[in-house]
Amino acid sequence: MINVYELQDSNRKRSTLVIVAFIVFVVVVGWVFARLFDWGPGAIGIALIFAGLMSFASYWWGDKIILTLSSARPANRRQDFQFFTVAENLAMAVQIPMPKLYVIEDSAPNAFATGRDPQHAVVCATTGLLQKLDRSELEGVIAHEISHIKNYDTRLMSIVTILVGMITLLSDWFLRGAGFGGRSRKKGEGNLGAFLLFVGVILALLSPLIAKLMQLALSRRQEFLADSSAVMLTRYPEGLARALEKIAADKEPLEAANKATAHLYIVNPLKNLHSGVGWFANLFNTHPPVEERIRILREMA
Amino acid sequence: MLVGIILVLGLIALYVWSLYNQLVTIKTRIRASIQEIGNQLKRQADLIPNLTAAVKGYFKQEKEIFALITEARKAVMEALKEADAQKLVDASEKMQQALAPIRALFESTPQLRSVEPTVKLMDELRDTADKVMYARRTLIDLTADYNIKIVTFPSNLVAKIFGFKPETGLKTPTEGEHIEVSVEELKTPKVGV
Repeated sequence: MINVYELQDSNRKRSTLVIVAFIVFVVVVGWVFARLFDWGPGAIGIALIFAGLMSFASYWWGDKIILTLSSARPANRRQDFQFFTVAENLAMAVQIPMPKLYVIEDSAPNAFATGRDPQHAVVCATTGLLQKLDRSELEGVIAHEISHIKNYDTRLMSIVTILVGMITLLSDWFLRGAGFGGRSRKKGEGNLGAFLLFVGVILALLSPLIAKLMQLALSRRQEFLADSSAVMLTRYPEGLARALEKIAADKEPLEAANKATAHLYIVNPLKNLHSGVGWFANLFNTHPPVEERIRILREMA
Repeated sequence: MLVGIILVLGLIALYVWSLYNQLVTIKTRIRASIQEIGNQLKRQADLIPNLTAAVKGYFKQEKEIFALITEARKAVMEALKEADAQKLVDASEKMQQALAPIRALFESTPQLRSVEPTVKLMDELRDTADKVMYARRTLIDLTADYNIKIVTFPSNLVAKIFGFKPETGLKTPTEGEHIEVSVEELKTPKVGV
C-alpha cells in the first residue's frame, strides 16, 4: 500500500532519472561523433538547429496543427456540459487558466491534451468518451490531461523529439561521411583509427534506435506521473480506473489518430492495430499497459 | 569590494520584492476562492427554486425549503461582505439542509431522473457542489502555504516588515454531509465466487 503523495514523489524522481539519462546519452553520442570525425562543436550545433527547425513548428503551432489533423470542433457549455464544467473545476483546482476545449466526432472513447504551456493548452475529447463515461470517470480523465498540461509534458516531449532528431541527423551524417571522405582524414592512425571508426559505425547505427527507445520510456513515465497527479486532484482513483477500463474495453479504433499523434492520447488509440504483449513489445509502446495503470490506481483506493 | 556589497544588497532587494509579490498574490487568490465559494452558493440558491418547481407534483415541503434558502442566502451575502471563509462554509451547511429533502426525493423517485429539466438542474447542482469542493480545497492549500511562509525564516522577516497577518482559513468540519457515512457504504460488498 502506497499513498498518493509517495507515488507522486517516486514518479517525479523516475521521470527526472529518465530525462537525465537521456541528456547524458545525447551528450556522449554527440561527443563521440565529434571526436571521431574531427567535427568541431559547429556540427553538433548545426544538427541541433536542423532538428530544432523541424520540430519548432510542431512545438509552437502544435495545438493548431493537431486540431486541424483531428478535425475537432470547439466545445461549449450548453452542448458539452459535463466536459466543460469538469475542465473548468480542475483548471481552478490546479490554478491554471481554463484550457481551450475541443470535441472530436468519433465514437471511440479517448482524449488528449496539447499546447506548449498552460496559457496555450488544449484539451480534446471524443464524443464517444463524453457519452460513455459518467461524471466521476470523466473527471479522472480530464484530471489526467490537465496534469499533463500542468507538468509541461508537451514541452518536455517536444524537446526530447528535437534531441532524438539531432541524434538521428548526426548518425546519418556520420554514416555518409564514413563512406566517402571520412577515412582520408584519419590517415596514419592505423589500427586504432580503424577500430574507432568501427565503434563509430556501430554507434551511428544503434544510437537513433536507443534514443527513440528512451523517448518512449519517458513517454510511459509521463503517463504514470499524470495518473498519480490526476488522483492528487480528484482524490478518487476509482474514477480514473473505471474510465481506463471502459476506454480499454472499447475495440473501435480511433480514426482521427495516427502514429504522429498517438503518444498524446490518454490510452494508445492505435491499440487495436498491433496488439503486442510482453516486455519486448512494451519497449516500443508510447503508453504503459492499461492493466498495470488500473492496478496501480486500484491500490491507491 | 564595493561591487560585492552592491551585488548582495541587490540580491536581498530582489528576494524581498519577489516574496512581497508572492504573498500579495496568495492573498488575492485566497480572496478569490472565498468569492468563488460564495458565488457557487448563490447559484445553488437560484437553482433550488427551479428544482422544486420542476418536481412540484411529488413534493410537499416547498414552503420550508424556501424559508431555508432565504436564510442561507442571507448568510452567504453576509459572509461574503466580511470575506469570512468560515462563515461562508457555515452558510453552505444551511444550503445543504435546504437541499437534503430534494436529494432524498430523487433517491426515492427514479422516474425523475429521466425527465429533461430536472436532469439538467441536477447536473448544474452537482457542478456547483464540485466547484465549492475544489474552491474549499484550494482555499485550504493556499492558506497553509501562506501561513507557513509568514512564520518560517527568512520570509517571516519580510512578512513582519510589511505587516502580513496569518490567515484564518477554515477549521476542520466536524459535521455535515461529507463526513456522514450512509448505511449503504457500511455494508460489506458482496463478492461472487
